[in-house]
Amino acid sequence: MTFLVALPVLLPLLAAALSLVAGRSPRVQRLLGVVVLTAIAAVAATLLLRADSEGPVVLRLGGYGPPFGITLVADRLASLLLLVSALVTLAVLVFSIGQRITDFGRRTASTAFHPMYLVLCAGVSMAYLTGDLFNLFVAFEIMLGASYVLITRRVTAERVRPSMTYVIVSLTSSLLFITMIALVYTATGTVNLAAMPEKIAALPAGVQSSLALFIVIVFGIKAALVPLHFWLPDSYPTAPAPITAVFAALLTKVGVYALIRTQTLVFVHEDSWAVLLGVALVTMIIGALGAIAQNDLNRMLSFLLVSHIGYMLFGLALFTVIGLAGVILYVVHHITVQGALFLVSGLVTRHTGTVSLQAMSGVARAYPLVAVLFAIPAMSLAGIPPFSGFVAKMALLQAGAEVGTAMAIAVTAGAVVTSLLTLYAVTKIWVGAFWGPPTEPLVDDDPNDDVTVGTGSTSSAMVGATGGLVLISVLIAVFAGPLADMSERAANDLLHDEGYRSAVLGEGNG
Amino acid sequence: MTDRPDDPRESVPWTEWDTPRERWLMTEQDAYSWPRSLLLEVIARVLFPTVLVFSVYLLLAGHNNAGGGFSGGLVAALAFVLRYVAGGSAELAMMVRVRPPVVIGSGLAIAVLTALAPVVFGDPVLASGIWKLQLPVLGELKITSNLLLDLGVYLLIIGVVVDLLRTIGAGTEVGGPGVDDEQLEEERG
Amino acid sequence: MLVAILAHFALAAVLPLVARRYGRAAFVVGALAPAATLVYALARGGEAVSGAPPLETLAWAPVIGLEFTARFDELALLLILLVSGIGAVVLCYYSRYAKPDDHRTAARDSALLVTFAGAMLGLVLADDVISLYLFWELTTVCSFLLVGGDGVAKRLRTSATQALLVTTLGGLAMLLGLILLGTAAGTMRISEILADPPSGGIVTAALLLVLLGALTKSAQVPFHPWLPSAMVAPTPVSAYLHAAAMVKAGVYLVARFSPAFADHPAWWIPIVVCGLWTMLLGGFRALRQYDLKTLLAYGTISQLGFLMVMLGAGTWMSALAAGTLILAHGLFKSALFLTVGIIDKRAGTRDIRELSGLGRQWRGLTTLATFALMSMAGLPPLLGFIGKEVALEALFEGGTVDRLIGVGVAVGSVLTVVYSLRFLRGAFGTKPDMAPSAPVPCGRVMTGMVAVPSLAGLVLALAPSVIEPVETGYADRYGKDPGYHLALWHGITPALMISVGIIAAGVAVHRYAGVQRLGGYVPGPLRAQSWYGRSVEGLESLARGVTGRLQVGSLPVYLGVILTTLVVVPGAGLFSGDIDFGELRLFDNWLQVPLALLVLVAAATSLLARRRLTAVLLAGVVGYGIGAWFVVDGGADLALAQFLVETLTLVVFVFVIRRFPPRFIENKAYVGGRWVKAVIAGVAGTFVAVLAVLYSGYRGGIPEASRQYIERAEDETGATNVVNAIIVDFRAFDTIGEITVLAVAATGVASLILARSRRRNGTVGRPEPTEQDATDDTGTTETPEVRS
Repeated sequence: MTFLVALPVLLPLLAAALSLVAGRSPRVQRLLGVVVLTAIAAVAATLLLRADSEGPVVLRLGGYGPPFGITLVADRLASLLLLVSALVTLAVLVFSIGQRITDFGRRTASTAFHPMYLVLCAGVSMAYLTGDLFNLFVAFEIMLGASYVLITRRVTAERVRPSMTYVIVSLTSSLLFITMIALVYTATGTVNLAAMPEKIAALPAGVQSSLALFIVIVFGIKAALVPLHFWLPDSYPTAPAPITAVFAALLTKVGVYALIRTQTLVFVHEDSWAVLLGVALVTMIIGALGAIAQNDLNRMLSFLLVSHIGYMLFGLALFTVIGLAGVILYVVHHITVQGALFLVSGLVTRHTGTVSLQAMSGVARAYPLVAVLFAIPAMSLAGIPPFSGFVAKMALLQAGAEVGTAMAIAVTAGAVVTSLLTLYAVTKIWVGAFWGPPTEPLVDDDPNDDVTVGTGSTSSAMVGATGGLVLISVLIAVFAGPLADMSERAANDLLHDEGYRSAVLGEGNG
Repeated sequence: MTDRPDDPRESVPWTEWDTPRERWLMTEQDAYSWPRSLLLEVIARVLFPTVLVFSVYLLLAGHNNAGGGFSGGLVAALAFVLRYVAGGSAELAMMVRVRPPVVIGSGLAIAVLTALAPVVFGDPVLASGIWKLQLPVLGELKITSNLLLDLGVYLLIIGVVVDLLRTIGAGTEVGGPGVDDEQLEEERG
Repeated sequence: MLVAILAHFALAAVLPLVARRYGRAAFVVGALAPAATLVYALARGGEAVSGAPPLETLAWAPVIGLEFTARFDELALLLILLVSGIGAVVLCYYSRYAKPDDHRTAARDSALLVTFAGAMLGLVLADDVISLYLFWELTTVCSFLLVGGDGVAKRLRTSATQALLVTTLGGLAMLLGLILLGTAAGTMRISEILADPPSGGIVTAALLLVLLGALTKSAQVPFHPWLPSAMVAPTPVSAYLHAAAMVKAGVYLVARFSPAFADHPAWWIPIVVCGLWTMLLGGFRALRQYDLKTLLAYGTISQLGFLMVMLGAGTWMSALAAGTLILAHGLFKSALFLTVGIIDKRAGTRDIRELSGLGRQWRGLTTLATFALMSMAGLPPLLGFIGKEVALEALFEGGTVDRLIGVGVAVGSVLTVVYSLRFLRGAFGTKPDMAPSAPVPCGRVMTGMVAVPSLAGLVLALAPSVIEPVETGYADRYGKDPGYHLALWHGITPALMISVGIIAAGVAVHRYAGVQRLGGYVPGPLRAQSWYGRSVEGLESLARGVTGRLQVGSLPVYLGVILTTLVVVPGAGLFSGDIDFGELRLFDNWLQVPLALLVLVAAATSLLARRRLTAVLLAGVVGYGIGAWFVVDGGADLALAQFLVETLTLVVFVFVIRRFPPRFIENKAYVGGRWVKAVIAGVAGTFVAVLAVLYSGYRGGIPEASRQYIERAEDETGATNVVNAIIVDFRAFDTIGEITVLAVAATGVASLILARSRRRNGTVGRPEPTEQDATDDTGTTETPEVRS
């Protein structure tokens, strides 16, 4: 049974390899992708049920235990995030396949897209499941490498520069990550996450806090915390809609997950961390202000992404059970909703031929289904009840109020203000693009430009994939009860991690 | 010696059985210019097979001495690089018969299958197995399952480098089948 | 009761389908839900006014405090009479008001109105703060969509947005306040908070925030301009939302929490001040309006202010007054709005300057409207008079503060009489110099719907004992019943005298001609609407300013910020404790020194190189230097891999470099910035080196992992080369990952270089440029594939 833990990583890699071999046959590639992603979702669900009932599922690769072997651990948090990510990735894949078939017909092959997409999935799965810091680095490398290819595919002359910004900043973050691993290994002598806490505790306080802050910065670049976030709004909008959707939904959340895992498992925090709370507040506000200042639909959504990362950091920085449960709920909600929004943005761009809000008008009248598919995730993002964003936000606000320190209350108020600003931004999109007199779509003058694709045509696969994600977000709200219970159990596991550690370290060596 | 591959169905007289069937560094009929260097061409001819054999040695010897899949693959790849540098993209076309992505994919697939195979036997993923065989002349031969993993790595690296040769090498040649001059951006300092 | 709420939403989901088939009959279908709820509520009314109101709960996510609760007490019953009663009336009215062939509007508005009715129902029944907020925001969203309509006309969009933003600002503030209140009280249940109210500094802030929510929702000064703008909505929508239901939510909120917090200065002072100011300002502005609907809007604002004042006063009598007036206001205001709707539809205009002679043509409607206006002005025998009597009695029998408030209320009432007369004369009067409007029948059903609330105001005034239990039941929360009963005639009381005086003064002011010139004039800069506009503009320019400064689009700046953060933040953390460097050795093997120098010099000169090839070769020297270092340190495998990879990298670099111009292009403008970059890079590198040296001081010998590798390599993997054992066995998973990265790199390069442009289906684009070269010179027979 424990081999299931390795499947979400190895299956997509195998499928990517076979996809490369079958590069001339689009049908094989598409089939491989869809089958494997469905399988990962099923495996993740199984792991989640197992982890919820019996505790973390631990796989020692090769049979070697810590401190020298690699362990893969599927606890509640990891399996839950894996499940949601798999579903979102599947939906986006269906969207891309639909888009490609609509644009270029069934027969054209794209040798690079499917293997890279599967490799991206493998990297994300590995990041969630690994219990080893160096393996986490490898996971980031896989994930980022595939993302470099996906973001620079079919890029036009003016979009090359921002996508290179992404590549270079990510390479810098990888460089800093490997440096950090070297420093950690030097100081503690292990890279196994479960074995680290006792080694870290033996170090002096200054070294501990500098190490913790270094780790926060490294993952903060990936998670787009202010002031490390500048690359995101510049580069994400340069990719086609499904790619941006999967980046926004997954890549930043992996950074957030790494932050959660390291700050709860490796370092011990008794009270809320004021520095992190301050960063969360700044991230929320600056992201929201940035969104309001935009006229480009995708840029606005990217800034909103940055802003809502602040919410997740807010919950983490409180270090209470309710706070962490809120973070988990927020991550699950945000993965789904942000992915759905970017996919809807892709649909809207196809219908209007532009990403400029001022040039769009009247989409609701012409395409009411797209309007509904936008309205639901948008309201969810702004925290309007009764959608998933409201549920997650409630948990976070209550957690902040319960902690009760001045900083926590200030950040709680900031979270409320950010909700209002998000609503303002989302209303701008609605009033600007969806309401108003219907206009003719702009002609697609650059067929090489994969971002503003104004063909007016969308296939049912594309709309269906978007609808699927929106449906998942609605289900998150409907089943908020069981989900919140599970998140609370997962949060408990994170804060009182004897269960995790004994599962990984406990059964003796090798 | 011919410069075109012979039709395999044509019968070859016995006096010509030892003539090379495939082209080897013949560049006179090339449509575009590739700078030729006599020294490089001679050395390439001498070294190419030797280096390939050496790379296989590195692959097999890695377990107990310096070497391994990475080094072996890189050495083999560098042999291909040498031949390309000597002969140009026409040469590359001759030596690469299989599409590089297929080689890359196969290497990766072998590696992953090696990882998954122990599950069938009830062992954890990536568990290693050691087999000892008695061969008549060579004596005892010890083969480990991670040799297969190494083999996958080897293939993949060869595929990667040959792919790079195809794209960066041949793909960016002036007048070649790749990027035109106008499409490169001027660098703005 | 929860079932009733759910039934509303279920019905609303079905209505668009009904409307698509049957058009505006969907409104009648929709009216079933509120009508049924009203009947059910009245049937169970006895339980509500008893001491133990029924309570239902439905758990949603109890771990995070999310649940649905419904507590059916007197206040809820009072508001249900309005919400469901007026709701049913409005929906039936709308079935005749809507255009018969506009199925789209019918679908949208019927579903939204029924959803709204359900949300209001949930709001007044909610017993926990989070459900309260949930239904509050739901009403805001419904209002946004109803006012916006199809969103084509610009004023619809701007009005809807203004309503949304102002009420959401209040709603979110209320949420924060409620959460803080709930946390301070230890429970999220309203009934429990009220039973044992908390106190403290946090509670003061919480109360102010909650008040902000109430004031914005009920359009109190200075948040009131959204209400007159929202009059662009269809009249039935205005009648329901902006007269009877949504704006009452703020009043409801105050009414709900006042029993516990009425003595708290942070509670009653803002309520009374804003309420009084609103009452006066609203009445004042109403004097200038020509559009009947806007007149009613300002009148509503004023009346809501009056209600707020009465709730803020916090005594038994004032609570009784507030309860009675809430009901009265809902009835007369909706009747008047529906009347305006009929006038608008049948006479074609709402402007009082263009209407004349309607009173003679539509006698029935005029009578009903007059009843409603009498109720508004506080004339007997209408419910409004009864309520006003109680109010005056409450204020003028109290202390000094109450009497001062009473004076304000009296002035406001005078203004109310004036604008009531203005409405009456403007809508139904016969103007001497105008021809009467052409005779058109007013719809019977619509007039019938007007009759319901209008006559209810009359009937209830004549038989006040029907509603007395509800009203006194609510008032009982404030203290003991002094034995007052609602009645039309209490004898010659001071309150009656004051009422007479108010009416007389109102008539006199109405006759005074100068009213037309002076009334309702507010200088431009003081207008609250301009504050709204300026706030929105301010927010936009703040956003642009901040983002413009921060998001500069320059990669060196981004990297510089990252590196600076890297140095500053962990550095601060480092110096927060004590640092101990331990013993430092300069080198282990003398060969390391020249190699280190070689690497440093090569790195530095590669930055200074002018030619690209030189820079690349120097970077290669750095790599070879590191490889030699590995040899010196004894890592043969590492050295081998390093040399090979470095060679490969050099080859790849050279292939790419040959297509670039030989020299780097200098940009003289950025010379100054170069020193900043150099400093940042140098400091960051040095910092990392310092950390490395520092941390290595804490290592105690070979780590456990290394020892295990050395011990186990032979037995478990069959290898004596430990490095190889680690790569392909112990950490084979990492190896699989890393070779994937190599595969990705190769694929990415191919995707970038070999991409071909392709024409997309369905567009008129450039002709396909490269379909002709079907075979690459690489010889592998590739069909023109897009390697992208």
